[in-house]
Amino acid sequence: MPQASTISVLVVDDQLTMRALIRNALQQIGFKDIREAPDGEEALKNLLAKPANLVISDFNMPKMDGLALLRAVRSHPPIRQTAFVMLTGRADRELVQRAVQFGVNNYCVKPFTVQGLKEKIEQVFGQLT
Amino acid sequence: MIHRDPHPDEAGPAIKVHVTQGESHVSADPSVVMTTVLGSCIAACLRDPTTGIGGMNHFLLPDTGGRANNDNGDAVRYGAYAMELLINGLLKKGARRDRLEAKIFGGGKLFDGLSDVGASNAAFAERFLRDEGIPIVSSSTGGLSARRVEFWPASGRVRQRLVAVDNAPMEVRRPAPMPVPAAHSGELELF
Repeated sequence: MPQASTISVLVVDDQLTMRALIRNALQQIGFKDIREAPDGEEALKNLLAKPANLVISDFNMPKMDGLALLRAVRSHPPIRQTAFVMLTGRADRELVQRAVQFGVNNYCVKPFTVQGLKEKIEQVFGQLT
Repeated sequence: MIHRDPHPDEAGPAIKVHVTQGESHVSADPSVVMTTVLGSCIAACLRDPTTGIGGMNHFLLPDTGGRANNDNGDAVRYGAYAMELLINGLLKKGARRDRLEAKIFGGGKLFDGLSDVGASNAAFAERFLRDEGIPIVSSSTGGLSARRVEFWPASGRVRQRLVAVDNAPMEVRRPAPMPVPAAHSGELELF
C-alpha cells in the first residue's frame, strides 16, 4: 500500500480559496509534498521543471484550462505517466467524457468531501496509508 | 444625437430572472433584472463594470454547528464552489477577473434559538472575496429582517427592500434545507 506522504502532488486551480481547500483536504489524507499552480500554463512549467506523481486540476482556468493541461501532460514524454485527477462541476458530464479520451485517471465532482477525494485518489494509487 | 439614459435598465420592459437557493445567473442584457429573496442566505452580485457583464448567486452554507468558517470544513468547500460557479459564468461571458467587483446581501438572523448561520454565511462571503482580491463595493448583511434584492447586471444598480419576518415569503420564513456536498462524484464509471 502506497504511503500518501511519499506521493508528490501538484494542485492546479485559479482560485486561491479552492487551492487552499484542496491542499487542506490532501493534508488531512496524509499528503505532505504539495505544490500549487494558478493555471495550466504555470502547472506545465512547474511539472517540466520538477515532475509530480499526481496532478489534481480544475477545469475552468485562464490561459490553459484543465483539459489542455491534461493533453499537454500526456504529450510530454518525461511527465506523460503523471496521474491526473480532474475536478469538475456536477453538470460537466461531457467534459469528463472528453477528459477520459485524453487519458484522465479519475475525476472528482465539486463540492467534494475529504473522503470522496481520498477514494478518487485511491482508485488510482490503491489504498493509501 | 443618441441620448443614453443614465438608468438604461429602467427603460423598456424588464426581463426578471429569479435566482433561488443554489442557483447562479449571468447576463449583460440591460433589460434583465435579477431578483431574489434572502433570509440567512447570501446573494453575491458580481460585475465587470467595463463590459457590463454581471451575475448573481444565492447560497447557504451547510450548518456545521458554528464551524462554518473552518477552512477545512465541507461548508467552506460548498460556498467556494457556489462562488466559483458564478465567477466562471462571468468569465465565460467575457468578464475579466481582475475587474470584478462585488455587492453582497443577506445573512440575516431570522430564527431565534438557531445558530447564527446568517453571520457565518456573510463572514464566508467577505473572506472569500477578500482572499480572491475581488473588492466589495457595497454590502448589506446581518440584521433581523429578510431582504428582497433586485440587481441590474448591465448597470450594476441594486435595489434592496427589508421585509419583516412575518411578512416575508415562506421560502425564507422556514429554515431552508441545508445543501450537502457531493458524497458521490458523478455517474460515469471509470473503474
